[in-house]
Amino acid sequence: MNAFKAIPDTGNAAIQQAWAELADEAKRLQDTHLAEMFSADPERFKRLNVKHGPMLLDYSKQRLDNSALAKLGSLADACDLKEWIERLFSAEPINCTENRAAMHWALRVPADTALQDPAPGVFSSVQSQLEKMGGMVRKIHNGQWRGMTGEVITDVVNIGVGGSDLGPLMVSRALNDSTLIRDKPLGIHFASSMDGSQLAQLLKLLKPQNTLFIVSSKSFTTVDTLYNANTAKVWLERSLGGGDELMHCHFIGVSSAQQKMNDWGIHPENQLQIWDWVGGRYSLWSCIGLPVALRIGMIGFNQLLAGAHLMDNHFRSAPWQNNIPVLMALIGIWNTNCLNINAQAILPYDGRLEKLPAYLEQLEMESNGKSVTRDGQMVQTHTCPVLWGEVGPNAQHAFYQLLHQGTEVVTCDFIAPALRYHEAMHNSDSEELVRQHELALANCLAQSRLLALGEDALKGEGELPDYKRYRGNQPSSTILLKELSPFSLGAMIAAYEHKVFAQSVIWGINPFDQWGVEMGKKIATETLGVIRNEAKPEYPLDSSTNGLIDFIKNQ
Amino acid sequence: MHLDVYGDTLCALVTAAGLASVGHDVTLSLPYGRVRERVLANHAAYSEPGLRKLISGEHTAGRLSFSEFSTLPDENSRAVFLALNTGEESAAENIVQRLTQKPDRRWLIINQSPFPVGFTELLQSRIKLETPDNPSAVVCLPDFLQEGSAIDGLRKPAQIILGCSDGHAELKVKEIYRPFSREVDRFLVMTEREAEFTKLTITGMLVTRISFMNDMANLADSLGVDIEHVRQGVAADPRIGPAYLYPGVGFGGPGFASNVVNLVDTLKASGVGSELLNEVLEINERQKDLLFRKLWKHYRTDLQGRTIGIWGAAFKPGTGRIDNAPVLRVLEALWAQGARVQIHDPEAIPALLEHYGSRADLVSASNPYTAAEGVDGLMVLTHWPQYGSPDFERLKRIMRTPVILDGRNVYDPATVREYGFTYYGVGR
Repeated sequence: MNAFKAIPDTGNAAIQQAWAELADEAKRLQDTHLAEMFSADPERFKRLNVKHGPMLLDYSKQRLDNSALAKLGSLADACDLKEWIERLFSAEPINCTENRAAMHWALRVPADTALQDPAPGVFSSVQSQLEKMGGMVRKIHNGQWRGMTGEVITDVVNIGVGGSDLGPLMVSRALNDSTLIRDKPLGIHFASSMDGSQLAQLLKLLKPQNTLFIVSSKSFTTVDTLYNANTAKVWLERSLGGGDELMHCHFIGVSSAQQKMNDWGIHPENQLQIWDWVGGRYSLWSCIGLPVALRIGMIGFNQLLAGAHLMDNHFRSAPWQNNIPVLMALIGIWNTNCLNINAQAILPYDGRLEKLPAYLEQLEMESNGKSVTRDGQMVQTHTCPVLWGEVGPNAQHAFYQLLHQGTEVVTCDFIAPALRYHEAMHNSDSEELVRQHELALANCLAQSRLLALGEDALKGEGELPDYKRYRGNQPSSTILLKELSPFSLGAMIAAYEHKVFAQSVIWGINPFDQWGVEMGKKIATETLGVIRNEAKPEYPLDSSTNGLIDFIKNQ
Repeated sequence: MHLDVYGDTLCALVTAAGLASVGHDVTLSLPYGRVRERVLANHAAYSEPGLRKLISGEHTAGRLSFSEFSTLPDENSRAVFLALNTGEESAAENIVQRLTQKPDRRWLIINQSPFPVGFTELLQSRIKLETPDNPSAVVCLPDFLQEGSAIDGLRKPAQIILGCSDGHAELKVKEIYRPFSREVDRFLVMTEREAEFTKLTITGMLVTRISFMNDMANLADSLGVDIEHVRQGVAADPRIGPAYLYPGVGFGGPGFASNVVNLVDTLKASGVGSELLNEVLEINERQKDLLFRKLWKHYRTDLQGRTIGIWGAAFKPGTGRIDNAPVLRVLEALWAQGARVQIHDPEAIPALLEHYGSRADLVSASNPYTAAEGVDGLMVLTHWPQYGSPDFERLKRIMRTPVILDGRNVYDPATVREYGFTYYGVGR
């Protein structure tokens, strides 16, 4: 493994100079406590926050100042971020190891756009698939999607994993309060794990004649998904019998591999298309988002897209110092590469965002968990930090102890909506719930304050014994949304997507591939043969694997 | 006696004309709308046998006069009937409010409207609030008239349920109804709330019987027995009796369904809730598109581009109304699957066209056989007598595919099959 450097010796002179200047900035600031920064500058928040659309980013609790930010901006310039952003917003194959474009932004371009089509037919094919999906959503919502026996479909199960699961799952949980109000609520369920855990539970509760499955897989070869889909199919066949009617009524497929959908038996009417230029973890904006559309309706889904599109335009046009995704990226670079912080916690103070940490874990770590540059060199700087997280108030009773008094430096993203429980669906019980939301907000602000300021936030507590002391100086950003709506959520997710892209540009890596997850799938196939006694390994297995297999077989 | 009736429901018209026919002087105050226009023009407002003739006869005889909904009863009025529709509570409150503007009059208000339980008491309390010393009374006389035999229902009641806790008012109501209650005392007197709840409970019991039989019919389907034979056997048991045991494609109608919903809401609002009634309604809703499901399976889940004939749209024979009728669910299900429909109904076509407007996949036929021309299946949804014995040979000739879906178990399955049809019934 190579040694990581604060100033890499790769890259051009401008890049090296920018890194060198950043190293100086880091040296200048490394011994300054956040509490000192706040007391030195009463206007600190005013200088270090940015608003756009429904979103506020407060980065005044990060351990930097305007001078360091200016140097970070120079680094972005030296790395040609501006040009790279334009390359992202084109059909250029910037996913270099797979020779594909990364046009997830095209999925949220509105139908009446004045933008130039990046390649012939991109926008129109996006719109035609959205329309096809809209037709299905309407039919299901109207109670006119019928099962094989003519019964109304009351429950939909999304079978997918990774990007075909986390995105739709996270967004449909987050937008629960925007659920379309119907006489009989539609059940929307998710099954992802290859061991069938979720599916086994679901199949006990659901009725075959009322259940529709969405098989969602970009390649339509994902083993986890196909095993789950097969289990679902056999479950249906047991009570309904097989045949074309079963496939016609009980399965929708979403994939870029039309032929594979055909081979599996997905009825052509029930096929929704995505394209190889959409990465799995960037795909919730496409028909992979069908479960989201089923929850919030097409109007809501279009608002989700509109929020993301707003952020796309902002990312393309705003100068660095006002550019939310770029600021998020540069702050991350500062923490990772200048302050050597290698852990980041995602802390939403809203239970509806419970799946956001898992979603961002995939988005950031699968995208930027790389150590080879686009030129095929080993990177010389650290890349993506370790991300994890949990709903903030619950995490307060779990790992916050380490944040406050442990030995690790961790940077946190605090995320909360300002307004809650004002939607039409809340009425009689809303007053008490609003008070609960206020309590959560108070905790969000108090925790980030205590983490940043340490004992400085505890004036009047007097002299404390060591085990009660708070050293503080843990940096954090706070993202506030006006409310958690389809529009604001779309904007926030797109901001994280673009943050990841901007960081990849500075690190010089390709964020759109995931070769690191391929090989494990392959050798699992071989191991399966051994576990089932169907095949011998091509080469002898290691003693650990052999020992574990022996234990399994002996049970 | 001089009486005033407010409303344009079937109950309002039958009560007004029926009471006039035994010598009362009745003023019928009709709100603006279709019913009022038709009554004033001497047309039938409801397809109720004998009603138009009765109204026009009493009007000619001078015992029945018509008035504006907004006018107050005149000096001589001895009782004010409120025979309004579900959901018109505020109109009722309005009328009562206006009556209290004559505080020196002692009113007898007879509420016949299908309002929530407790509403009669609420009206009474309004009067008390406005005019504390006024001895006016509000009583509840639930409407049990059945469409198709409403006039007989008024003239020869099995019993008259009266919710009333005022002795004076009770005597007056009995006096008004004396001509219909001569041989024996037909009155069953209870509190206002009890009377309102009795009405709901009776409706609940009837729909429960129907849904129960539909449930049994679905079982019969899967057991391969004919529910019709089972029904006759069940009906022969004197503890059960024959009424409301016919399986079919669900009950509808403005009153029936809304009364059950009212009952469910009443129970829910009181915190009790009724699993049973929710299930009863659920079964009924499912039953409404039973024939669609049978057709869907027959054509192996592909109805795209097919043409389906439907006989009967009205929620029951003898009426032109389609409120909550199974035809609505069936049409929407067929259209959603890309089928088109040719439909015949002797009376309900105008209501259907008003409901859906003109659309390419809905063709109304003036003759049952035209509706069956070239179709891939023929559904019978309403038990109109004229559908009872069609010319099966002719049907077989004109239909594209000989499939009959008999939603009211009108035909004999064996006979129909002998003609070469595929036959689907309800539970047979």
